[in-house]
Order: sequence, then structure tokens, then C-alpha cells
Amino acid sequence: MNRRKQENTWIWFIKQASGGLVFLVILVHLVVNHLVAAGGLLTYSDVIRYFSHPWVVVMEIFFLIVVVGHSLLGLRSILLDFNPTAAFLRVTDFVFVILGSAAVLYGVWLALTIASVV
Amino acid sequence: MDNLPGSPARRGWLQWIDPRGKQGGGWGFLINRLAGLGLTFYLFLHLMVLGKLANGPESYDGFVKLAHHPVVVAGEVLVVLAVLLHGFNGIRILLTSFGIGVARQRLWLVLAGVLALGIGLFFILRMAGVLS
Repeated sequence: MNRRKQENTWIWFIKQASGGLVFLVILVHLVVNHLVAAGGLLTYSDVIRYFSHPWVVVMEIFFLIVVVGHSLLGLRSILLDFNPTAAFLRVTDFVFVILGSAAVLYGVWLALTIASVV
Repeated sequence: MDNLPGSPARRGWLQWIDPRGKQGGGWGFLINRLAGLGLTFYLFLHLMVLGKLANGPESYDGFVKLAHHPVVVAGEVLVVLAVLLHGFNGIRILLTSFGIGVARQRLWLVLAGVLALGIGLFFILRMAGVLS
């Protein structure tokens, strides 16, 4: 199977678009978490205070979804360098979907748990 | 035919580290693969460590104290540099998909590296308190 069939236009587009979004949000994430907060968000109470803003929770969950999606699509691209068979790719695609969903569900739970601490 | 004309050439992973005839674009490809692998590993590690927040202040603050170890700090510096390099080099690779910068891939790769190092250095010095 050729590479364009294994990584169709939609997968390519999502990988590129999520990459652009990740880069944009990660710069905000790094600046806000480590430069705006004096010395960075280091203690438990710093993080709780940061997550008390609803827009922060939304931004961090959005960041989580695009960064997990981009990283797993990137891993899939690397896998394509090994010229996998279609059957093997179906199995790894399934594993990536499960792994990505689990990471996002866990991250959303964690973000909401932190945000709910008074 | 397995590989259609015009589609990307099949690349065995051993070709990643084969320097023979590798041009700027090839090195950029290798850098993005390696940085991406490292960042994916860090992402899942980061998510697991942040789970300590759910266990309360003792658990999280105890870990943060451990994170001041020079080896961990060196790892964080590498992560910041890898993020910036993967990001700027990724933008360069995206632009080549649209035919932009294809003839000057080495120049654009060096520019991405300089941007990543410059911004990374500023960020690290700010974090270290050297710059205000």
C-alpha cells in the first residue's frame, strides 16, 4: 500500500492543523505557566489558583486534545516509515484511538478535579 | 504498482541515520522525527506526573522538590528546546508541502534552529532569574 493511501489527505491535514494549534497554545502555556507567574507555577496552591479561572480549564483541555491527537498522528507517521502491512496498521490505529481517548479522558478528569478544589 | 509516481519515496527507518547524500530537508526530517518521539514520551510522562495533583498538596509539592534536581532541570531545558525546534522546523516542513522554501531547505532549517535556540535561551535565562 502506498504512503498516500495509508496517510490520506484528511489525516495529513489534521496532523498539520493540530501541529499549528499545538505550537500556538504551547507558547501561551509556557509563557503563562513559567514566565507570567513569578518563578513559574511551582506549588500545589499556585496550580489550584491558576485552574480557578474557567478560561484556563477550557484552554488546557483544548491543548490536551490537540497535543494528544498530534503526537499520536506523529507516531503513526513514524510507524509508516517501517512499511507496515494494512492489517498491522489497523491494529495500531485501534491502539492509538484507545490510547488517545484514555489520555484525553484522564486529562479532562484531572483538569476538572483540580478546578473543583476550593 | 506499490508506490505511485509522485508519491513520497518509501523510507526504511535505517535511512533516517544514513548520512550519505542527505540534504537539508533530510536532516530536518530526522530532527523532527527524533524531537517528536522525545516530546511524545515527555507528554505522557507529564500527564502521569500531573496526576499527583489529584492526591493533594503533599504528594505534588513533594514531587516538585525532587524536580529541582539538576538532571530533571537539564531534561526540562531539553524539552523547551525540542518544543521550539519541532515547532519551527514543523512550520518549515509544512511550507515545503506548498512548494515554499524547497530550494533553500538547509537555510530554512538553520533559521529554525537559530530561532529555537534564541527563544529557548531567553526562556531559560528568564526561568533561571538571570533576565528580569
